[in-house]
Amino acid sequence: MCYMGDPDAFSKLELELRRGVVVLATLSQLCAPRYGYELRQALAEKGMPIEEGTLYPLLRRLETQGLLKSEWKIEDGPPRRYYSLNADGQKLLKQLTEAWQSMNDALNLLLKEAEHERE
Amino acid sequence: MNANDVIESYVADVAALLPRKQRNDVAFELRALLNEELQAKAETDGRGVDAARAIELLHAFGRPADVAARYRPTLTVIDPADGYRFLQATIIGMAIIWGVGLLMPLWQPIDSAGDFLRALGQWWGTTVIPSLWWPGLLVVGFGVAAWTRRRWPQTSEWKPRAHNQSAGSPVARAMGLVGIVFGVYILVDPHWLLDVFWGGRAAPSAYEALTYTDRVLHRQAPFLLALILLNIPLFIAIIVTGRRSVLVQRSETVLSLAMCAAIVWTVLDGPILMAPASEQTAKFFLVLIVVFTLIDVGIKLYRSVKPAPNLPIEA
Repeated sequence: MCYMGDPDAFSKLELELRRGVVVLATLSQLCAPRYGYELRQALAEKGMPIEEGTLYPLLRRLETQGLLKSEWKIEDGPPRRYYSLNADGQKLLKQLTEAWQSMNDALNLLLKEAEHERE
Repeated sequence: MNANDVIESYVADVAALLPRKQRNDVAFELRALLNEELQAKAETDGRGVDAARAIELLHAFGRPADVAARYRPTLTVIDPADGYRFLQATIIGMAIIWGVGLLMPLWQPIDSAGDFLRALGQWWGTTVIPSLWWPGLLVVGFGVAAWTRRRWPQTSEWKPRAHNQSAGSPVARAMGLVGIVFGVYILVDPHWLLDVFWGGRAAPSAYEALTYTDRVLHRQAPFLLALILLNIPLFIAIIVTGRRSVLVQRSETVLSLAMCAAIVWTVLDGPILMAPASEQTAKFFLVLIVVFTLIDVGIKLYRSVKPAPNLPIEA
């Protein structure tokens, strides 16, 4: 079913939803070291595209918050900064995953009820 | 300008807005990432890498100031929750300052269009531009309040209070009543102050400065005194019951408006005191009293809540 009201309202609310999961999605892909562009590609391929202007600064902020570690490396191409979870980042990922799953279960239940009522 | 120059210029603008210690490192990474993005987009749509393509990419990336802000923790000076109150206080305050400031030049005789323009120019220079202290003060005030709430959250916890409860302890309220009676006495006989402080030996000009004109004594004084005295039973009712009943609140509003009307009549009707200097000072303070009373009444009306549905309730 498609929302036919104000398209602007839909994009704003969808953006809000996305904002809420950007950190979790990013942390989930950093169990192994990745550099910015590679991470963005990985997220987009799995159906979670994040704008480059949002993702690259986010990596720095998460590092400043003590959740990521990073290092400059040269592999096949120019020097790149690779980010991965440190011990605190792993703990946070675990906690956020549990919180997300709990919210997801509750929301699924609510949405199923709403669907039954509509029918 | 080629694509590389465009990216260099963008990266320099972003980096210049970052803290010095992370500036160079972020610039190096950002440049590499943007080049990689640009290369990938060019390969995807089969177009070459050129300045126009780079500008398109950077527009999507965001303004340098926005991007730089995303690299740092969010800094909030005024809490979003205070945004509307800040805007409201700014607009109302500026309107009052500009309005009162406009009265002063327009008070003087204006005989020609030139005089009017001069008065406006004077108003612009002496009131409008200097009035910017007000939003500045509000930014500081709201900023300090937001910082205090974050630093000591317990100080800003909401506490229930009865909406009609009067402020202060019973002793403080009784002292307030004594203050009112004392103030009324001074208003009725201002010479008493001179007698008390100078033992009756104050200069004759001081007595003249505090002497009411006959016009005020015969015309407005009885009304003003009656209106002031009517506050005393209200105050006693508040002291006895410890709260402001709806009747008391309404009576206070009516009395305030009646007092404003009487003061405006007094100010416009002619001289109040015998000496011109004290006359001017007295009128200035009377106008201030009217302005603040009207603001207070306006705020109370604006903030009054009468819970009621705005749609009919279906049974």
